[in-house]
Amino acid sequence: MTATRNLGFVAAGATLLSAAPLSAIFERWTWLIQATIAVAVVAGVAALTRLVRAPLWGQALGMLAGLVLALTWIFPSGGELVALVPTPATFAHFGELVGASAQDMRSYRVKVPDTPPLLFISVLGIGGVALVVDVLSVGLRRPALAGLPMLAIYSVPVAVYVDSVPAVPFVVGAAGYLWLLVADNVDRVRRFGRRFTGDGRDVDVWESSPLAAAGRRLAVVGVALAVVLPLAVPGMTGGLLDTLGSGTGNGTGRAGQGGNPGRVDLFAALSGELNQSEVADMVKVTTTESGPFYLRFGVADQLEADGFRVGSPTGQAVTRGLPDPPQEAREGVEQRRYRATVETTKNFAMPLLPVYGEPVRIEELGGNWRYDPALQLVFSNRDDSREKRYSFDYVRSTYSPAALRRATSLPADHPLRLRQTATPPVSQVDTLVAGLVRGERTDYDKVRAIYDYFSSDNGFSYSLTTKGGTSGQDIVDFLNNKAGFCQQYAAAMAWLVRAAGIPARVAFGFTNGTGRTDEGYVLTNRNLHAWTEVYFDGMGWVPFDATPAYGVQGSTRSAWAPDTDAPESVTPEPGAPVTPGENDPSAEAAGPDRPDRETDAGLAVGAGDPTRQAPVWPWWTAGVLVLLGLLAVPALRRAALRRRRGTRVAAVPTATMVDAGTGRDGVERTIVVGVDPDRARADAHAAWDELLDTLVDYRVRVDRTETPRATAERLAADALTEDAAAAAAARLLGRAEERARYARDPLAGEELAPALRSVRGVLAARADRRTRVLATVLPPSVLLRWRTAVSDTSSRVVATTGDARYRLLRWDPRRLLANRAAR
Amino acid sequence: MTQQTWDEVGGLLPHDEFRAASEAIVANIEQVIEGKTATVRLALAVLLAEGHLLIEDVPGVGKTKLAKALARSIDCSVRRIQFTPDLLPSDVTGVSVYNQETHDFEFRPGAVFANLVVGDEINRASPKTQSALLECMEERQVTVDGVTYQLQTPFMVIATQNPIEMEGTYPLPEAQRDRFTARIAMGYPDPAAELAMLDGHGAADPLQDLGAVSDADTVRRLIATVREVHVADAVKQYAVDLVTATREAPDLRLGASPRATLQLLRTARAVAALEGRDYVLPDDLQALAVPVLAHRIIPTADAQLARRTTDAIVSELVHRLALPHDRQRSPYDTRPTGEGNGRAPYEPRRR
Ligand SMILES: Nc1ncnc2c1ncn2[C@@H]1O[C@H](COP(=O)(O)OP(=O)(O)O)[C@@H](O)[C@H]1O
Ligand SMILES: [Mg+2]
Repeated sequence: MTATRNLGFVAAGATLLSAAPLSAIFERWTWLIQATIAVAVVAGVAALTRLVRAPLWGQALGMLAGLVLALTWIFPSGGELVALVPTPATFAHFGELVGASAQDMRSYRVKVPDTPPLLFISVLGIGGVALVVDVLSVGLRRPALAGLPMLAIYSVPVAVYVDSVPAVPFVVGAAGYLWLLVADNVDRVRRFGRRFTGDGRDVDVWESSPLAAAGRRLAVVGVALAVVLPLAVPGMTGGLLDTLGSGTGNGTGRAGQGGNPGRVDLFAALSGELNQSEVADMVKVTTTESGPFYLRFGVADQLEADGFRVGSPTGQAVTRGLPDPPQEAREGVEQRRYRATVETTKNFAMPLLPVYGEPVRIEELGGNWRYDPALQLVFSNRDDSREKRYSFDYVRSTYSPAALRRATSLPADHPLRLRQTATPPVSQVDTLVAGLVRGERTDYDKVRAIYDYFSSDNGFSYSLTTKGGTSGQDIVDFLNNKAGFCQQYAAAMAWLVRAAGIPARVAFGFTNGTGRTDEGYVLTNRNLHAWTEVYFDGMGWVPFDATPAYGVQGSTRSAWAPDTDAPESVTPEPGAPVTPGENDPSAEAAGPDRPDRETDAGLAVGAGDPTRQAPVWPWWTAGVLVLLGLLAVPALRRAALRRRRGTRVAAVPTATMVDAGTGRDGVERTIVVGVDPDRARADAHAAWDELLDTLVDYRVRVDRTETPRATAERLAADALTEDAAAAAAARLLGRAEERARYARDPLAGEELAPALRSVRGVLAARADRRTRVLATVLPPSVLLRWRTAVSDTSSRVVATTGDARYRLLRWDPRRLLANRAAR
Repeated sequence: MTQQTWDEVGGLLPHDEFRAASEAIVANIEQVIEGKTATVRLALAVLLAEGHLLIEDVPGVGKTKLAKALARSIDCSVRRIQFTPDLLPSDVTGVSVYNQETHDFEFRPGAVFANLVVGDEINRASPKTQSALLECMEERQVTVDGVTYQLQTPFMVIATQNPIEMEGTYPLPEAQRDRFTARIAMGYPDPAAELAMLDGHGAADPLQDLGAVSDADTVRRLIATVREVHVADAVKQYAVDLVTATREAPDLRLGASPRATLQLLRTARAVAALEGRDYVLPDDLQALAVPVLAHRIIPTADAQLARRTTDAIVSELVHRLALPHDRQRSPYDTRPTGEGNGRAPYEPRRR
């Protein structure tokens, strides 16, 4: 009975543990407290009903009632009896909560705040799972099945985050499930009566069977592999490392359930998508403009100590018409009207829609979508941008540097200037800006000074591997390291321009990607981009892209913000947006040429995806060579062994005659030097080892219980019958080894090398071709030796760890307790 | 009476003299016993190993003949005891009798006071008499009335017994079989040898004409030479392994004693010397394991039920036991290295 009760509580605990992944969804931990209450009530009721020996259905009903009571208490409607007994009003309230939760799910993106509907639905779910788990594991004794409802909780965050979900909560959940299984198993074994604790038999008190240790070891190895493999395999790291580091994944931009546009962290979305290993199409766009500037969908214009933030856009529904752009024709400002059609895929999920320039009319969009003229954003608080198709007319303004230079500075008390130049004080930035803009008189010159500062001449380079924060410290780091990607360039430039007293903000959107195709521009997550927009009085927001062009596929430059890294000679023609380093506008029209050039530009620096573009064959060749090398190792080892033994054996001196030369007395003497017995012994051993290896290689049986003499006789009788010389040679080798091992003095003066050769020759001739090939390529003797070595080491390791474990176990408190209990 | 004490063996014999002497004895015996070279050599080896021989086989295969032929081939004192149920211990060891003339007790030596003692049908004597003999065999001395008399060297007991006939016999106690260095079975001669026997022995018994080809002194020198045969450490290790294996074999209730180890090695030396080697090989131990060990061990009841003879058990042990390697571990030894360094193929029985 106690065991059953224990199991019930384990089931409850396991349910709570398996709910851990929900922590990835909620901003705070309220849900856990409420879920714990609900689960505790369910478990308590279950224990009570079992105490009165209620049937299974009774237990289930009791738990259900307990769950309802708990929910009533946690989410009161106000109309309950004694604050606990639910009334119809309570259930109506529950119904409302459920309905509202669907609404909330759509309107918030992770992490969600503690809204009552969401909390209600979570607590209801966890309580229900607790009920089912209890019935399955305690009532039906099928704890393995209890994994299914637990899996249901798992699937929630997985469904919310498409790419990467925090790993730790899942481990916690899995631990809960394992706990349940182990508890059930221990309980099951207990039911047989006294549990075999296996004192001193390497079996722990807490293990249900001696096999459990093996199982646990397997599990540990599995978990270790699961953690190590993704770290080891490049391309898989992004997800897990970032997940471990920052708690939630970086894929926020992709598939949220819509939500408030003000809550979207565009910076996180951007770096997350740029670091994605797979490429996904996001947007297809066709336009009547020949070389459009970037497709734009977001803006971060609020600068606080921790960096740029996205403000909440406001505005009217696009169905009510869009405000006209200022139509005052200024000199040097050219405004043209174009028309574009955008199609988004399911991979692009934002509460924002991408548009070009300043849209003046948008078609085929519902009333959910609004336009913010100040931020120039199309946004929605309800809908998201997945699988939308819409057309719009837009005005593209291009500016000549001269016109921009003519623009006056905003008065210091202008609200826009007050709002958009507020900059947290960072002394290093301020001194840098002061140095850059010294002597520049117009706003445009100041901006250009800052813009030009981000050039390779000043040591700036493109790198996707940096952390892309935009706080004051991050900006300082970036200015020191001078390596980063678009969002750092954009934010740093915006920060610097603001510090110079000119309004600036960071815009988000897509570059032109690989260029125009038959279907227009196809833009992927890799083409996401950020750049800077600077406000000029009377002109509006003018884009500047400070990111090095080589790092960005489909990068576009304009006459007022030319590529700082391009050679000086190619000064762009004023008045038209041109591509970097390529100021012939006709080249833009010649669509297919451009993408190639762009790809090459990316390749040369290797910023994009070096492994994909680098020639592949050297890797293959290297891989094949390495493989061949590895395969050749046993053969080489065998050859080395044979050479070593061969030189040994060949060097066997027959009682060497040393000519000692003429002595002092002029008598010629010859001294017979006896063979060094140790040498002779070693030589005989070498020859014998070589013979045994040869036998193994040619798959002739080698018997450990045989004496050298018996082995030699067997060879002579079985393997070497055709060749009397070889048989004699084998006997000679046997005799030499036997003498070397057992006699007072070894056999000397015999030629072992030729004997070995003749035996080997006959054996090789006798063997079939497969054996022969294997003997040369993958000599079994070497493999066998290695295998023996490995198994020896492993068994030694097992023995020592077993020893150590046993010694440690002596100090195990559980063991001491167990002994006392037994007494 | 020449009292040659135990350790006074003569000087060493050179290699070829040793060979000549031993070959002469073997050849001499083979004049009488047809087609039993191995057995004859083994009997000689036991003599040179200073051991005692038990010949056990069915009647009429030449047991007595072998014993007598060996005794006759060597010119030394030979006594033959035909064991019968009424034989007394004093007949074996000797007795003090009162001499009327000297008015004193005088020791009259028993049958064991000889270089070669042939004990025929030893299992027909009473256990008391058997044990009197067996004690002399081990201690090589006789104590009668408080006086200890040393036996001569060489001293060898060649006993025969018939394992088939059970009626009226007292089988040797296991503990006492241990005193015999080796037990050999004669075995039937092969047909060719039997034919030769018919030709040679049809008319007269050649044993009558058999002369001595050697003497006690030569035998002592042979023994001295055998003692000098080299035994490598690996071989000693192998001997110990073999004996240990009998003690740990699950089929055996009683394994071989340390005395067995000693005698195994001594016999191996003798065999090696007879083969003209001055070093012992594991092969020698393998060949001797059955004759030297099999009669000392007792199989378990299960093994007896399964009709596994001790001979079969020992030869199986020999086949399963790996050779010890004095250098490194054999690369072909795929068993894990345990505490026993892979030497004990069986789980030790807990006794
Ligand atoms: N291998 C043999 N060679 C020669 N004679 C033999 C052989 N085996 C038995 N005999 C003969 O058989 C007879 C019986 O031999 P004996 O030694 O008395 O037998 P037991 O084994 O009963 O003592 C002897 O006459 C002997 O000549
Ligand atoms: Mg007889």
